[in-house]
Amino acid sequence: MGPRALSPLRRLSGGQYRESENEKPDMDKRLRNALKGLTSPDAESRRRAMEPFVRATFNIFIRHLYRYLGNEVECEDVLEDVYADIWENPDHLRDIANDAHLLRTVYLYYMRKRLREVYRRMNRNLALSQADLENLVAPEMGLHDITEQAELRQLLHRMLGKLKARERKAIEMWMQGMSNRAIANQLKTTVGAVKMLEFRTILKLRRMMKDYSDEED
Amino acid sequence: MANLNREIQELLADYGVALRDGCLPAFLKSLTREEARAIRESDDFWEATEMVRLMNSAGFGDKVVTPDVGLFISRVDAAIVSRQKRASASTRSPSRNRVNL
Repeated sequence: MGPRALSPLRRLSGGQYRESENEKPDMDKRLRNALKGLTSPDAESRRRAMEPFVRATFNIFIRHLYRYLGNEVECEDVLEDVYADIWENPDHLRDIANDAHLLRTVYLYYMRKRLREVYRRMNRNLALSQADLENLVAPEMGLHDITEQAELRQLLHRMLGKLKARERKAIEMWMQGMSNRAIANQLKTTVGAVKMLEFRTILKLRRMMKDYSDEED
Repeated sequence: MANLNREIQELLADYGVALRDGCLPAFLKSLTREEARAIRESDDFWEATEMVRLMNSAGFGDKVVTPDVGLFISRVDAAIVSRQKRASASTRSPSRNRVNL
């Protein structure tokens, strides 16, 4: 169970739309060279290529992981293992076409494995099934999971503009980091009503996102 | 999260807060069997979690305090060296060790 649809690439850093990832856009030259080194059969060459690779990808990867962990320290620990895994077994990184393809591949083949391991030991004490736990902490990529941060914010901003004033206010306050109690005080309602309002609005936003993706496709 | 058998909208709200505050394990541990079942059976919940992650990323992703990349690279390099050592230790045969000694 859980969100599953994998949407094709929509936009790259240059702001241009592309049909699919088979089209080879310009990838940062340093990153391309680092990738070449990383897929070398020689372990020492791979180790040397790791530094430029980390420099080129660290910010993107850590922000992506933050979506699932919400905690910088854990993000760093997981990412350290992810890079070491890439060094050890870089096969999935052959034929990377562009930045978004890279992020998707790294998430699917390296990050998810590590995210699952973070929680695997906990599962003995949890009421959740293993499959549900995995879907919650390391889900498959869903709609817009590879959309860039800035574009995602723009898109959300546009979607929020289509909501009713009260719905928009609740979500904006949540995204500013306010607690549900504080939101309830602002909206002069109960915490329970705020949670229900957020739930319905989030589902509404999800539908809008899906419609947007379908239009793009 | 003290409330037992929360409704699905409450579970989503608590998931969102846990994700935002970086304490997902506390949320996972707080789930009762009933709540776990409600989550499993609710497509709405799963769809909403996807959206919550995106909202979390859009709202707080840029506030991530990233460490010095140089220091981080040395951590990665140390991890690689340790794996290299582990690999060479496991491939070394005991008889060869004796010869080297």
